[in-house]
Amino acid sequence: MIARHDLPVRVIARSELSPTCFRLELVTGEPVSAAPGQFGMLTCGDGLDPLLRRAFSLAGVRPHENGAIVEMLIKEVGRGTGLLHHLPLGAALRLLAPLGNGFTLADGSGDRLALVAGGIGLPPVLFAAEQLAARNVAFDLYLGAASSAELLEVGRCRSAVEVVGGELVLATDDGSRGEAGFVTAAVERRLAAGRRYLRALACGPTPMLAALARLGATRGLEVELSLEEPMACGVGVCLGCVVELEDGRFVPTCKEGPVFAASRLAARWRA
Amino acid sequence: MNVSLRTHVGDLALQNPVMAASGTFGYGLDLVEFCPPERLGGVVTKGLSPKPRRGNPTPRIVETAAGMINAIGLQNIGVEAFCRDALPELRRRNVLVVVNVFGETQDAYLEVITRCERDEGIAAYELNVSCPNVTAGGMEFGHDAGTLMSLVARCRASTSRRLWVKLSPNAPYLVDTARAAVDGGADALSLINTLRAMAIDAVARRPVLATRCGGLSGPAIKPIALRMVDEVHRALPAVPLVGIGGIESGRDVAEFLLAGASAVQVGTAIVRDPTAALRIAGELEAFCAAHGVADVTELIGGLTC
Ligand SMILES: Cc1cc2nc3c(=O)[nH]c(=O)nc-3n(C[C@H](O)[C@H](O)[C@H](O)COP(=O)(O)OP(=O)(O)OC[C@H]3O[C@@H](n4cnc5c(N)ncnc54)[C@H](O)[C@@H]3O)c2cc1C
Ligand SMILES: Cc1cc2nc3c(=O)[nH]c(=O)nc-3n(C[C@H](O)[C@H](O)[C@H](O)COP(=O)(O)O)c2cc1C
Ligand code: FES
Repeated sequence: MIARHDLPVRVIARSELSPTCFRLELVTGEPVSAAPGQFGMLTCGDGLDPLLRRAFSLAGVRPHENGAIVEMLIKEVGRGTGLLHHLPLGAALRLLAPLGNGFTLADGSGDRLALVAGGIGLPPVLFAAEQLAARNVAFDLYLGAASSAELLEVGRCRSAVEVVGGELVLATDDGSRGEAGFVTAAVERRLAAGRRYLRALACGPTPMLAALARLGATRGLEVELSLEEPMACGVGVCLGCVVELEDGRFVPTCKEGPVFAASRLAARWRA
Repeated sequence: MNVSLRTHVGDLALQNPVMAASGTFGYGLDLVEFCPPERLGGVVTKGLSPKPRRGNPTPRIVETAAGMINAIGLQNIGVEAFCRDALPELRRRNVLVVVNVFGETQDAYLEVITRCERDEGIAAYELNVSCPNVTAGGMEFGHDAGTLMSLVARCRASTSRRLWVKLSPNAPYLVDTARAAVDGGADALSLINTLRAMAIDAVARRPVLATRCGGLSGPAIKPIALRMVDEVHRALPAVPLVGIGGIESGRDVAEFLLAGASAVQVGTAIVRDPTAALRIAGELEAFCAAHGVADVTELIGGLTC
């Protein structure tokens, strides 16, 4: 596991990605190394309200001067994300990172990977895609959203996929762009047509993840899901973020996850 | 200015008054890279039961104004795993360990203590008496003076180690229960545990937590905790107290000491910042230095009226 740190960070850039989503870039004073699927707990200001940090997947990490730039893609859904959306550039925050495990990335042999992202589930999937592209490991990328306006970072997704000669599949619930319907249906159509994958890596809303877990179970496809349980500490001590495993244990997703093999989760995930 | 942070809870010496509270610091070793436990006044373990326990369904936590409500349901690895997997390393590091004990029956409390008695390296037991007593229709042990005294007396008879009782702020008569715990044989009282509370999602028209209600902690409860420490200290001035509730800074610690606590525990502050306990101890030292306090024990019970 990569060591966890409580990093002082500054907001160095922010840009709008959609009517509700934005990209936040945070600069650190020390180097950061992290794996796709890992996340960080970010303060939203310095008062006592909101009290807790918010969990965000790392969308990318790159070296910058003596430290690093950590990238996040965030959807404004409430107070904390609203504050982050409007902080002035230069604002000082604290980031606990990198936390949790990551996706199992392939070594480049055998079948391709399927990367599947729904809505604001894109960040860890984008991080994985860009890292796989850099290592020239083949994958297809499925990107779904409610509507065209909420399909994020399509250009970057396309560039990463093109490096490895994979397919970028877009899907929208309302059919305003790409294939109409859920992104999991787009995966299913290709599996039915005989496409084979080494493994699927996914992040998105819980119903999407459950659909993919079912699909994996029926088609014999190994699936890894990045879960989003509400978190308080992010470091495994409060036991607020547990998920039930197949063997009946409750384990903290912030520590043993957030990525789990779908086959390890309690049966209702695949039912 | 050189400040001495050393304090005592009864006859137990602490290198500084700041401890990690039960349920927010794992079993003492979970946050070593952020907060070496040997540098704190002490560490209180997550509540231990005779057997491992799964806890409640999710959602278990929700943030509220300057606080949070939790309904973890006392999930823990069980006393055996603690003694086997964590205690030896805690001993090696010279950590002052307080084992937090709970049970749904008196016998369950005794089972935990009896298992711990076989091992060295435990400075005290802290009884969490906010647990529903299944043999008494689910009423919490700490809510009735008679039940509490009988529980504490049985635990007292089973160990010569220090026995702390952690008072519930939900009990109807605080001072009566405090006195019952002392009469049963408690060496010190820690207060407070979380306050029963609820959050509602108005759009979904549902309670937010799976268990409907949970326990409120964090800065929102600090004024209540201070009032309770003050009240118990004035009623029972000879009884050592450990103050808990919403502590976020060194200055907050000073307030609890002034109200009569000999040491404090930090809970939710660790949940928002894993380095918090150590930072707060440093801030306490700075507070003392800035206000001419050479020895932190000068603050204990030091309100001027
Ligand atoms: C491991 C992990 C990775 C995450 N990655 C990202 C990411 O990359 N980008 C992103 O935008 N969001 C991500 N989230 C979700 C993000 O943490 C929440 O959206 C955020 O905490 C909401 O804070 P708020 O103060 O704005 O909302 P609040 O005011 O607290 O709540 C507003 C609404 O958001 C819901 N909500 C609160 N917490 C969560 C949560 N943890 N997950 C889902 N819904 C929640 C509430 O139920 C409520 O309906 C991630 C969550 C986890 C656990
Ligand atoms: C997530 C969480 C878990 C807790 N678990 C326990 C527990 O197992 N036993 C116990 O006696 N108190 C438990 N507590 C209560 C704390 O030890 C403390 O008494 C309370 O939170 C008030 O202090 P604070 O405001 O600093 O958090 C828990 C609190 C939190 C927030
Ligand atoms: S968020 Fe506290 S244990 Fe996972």
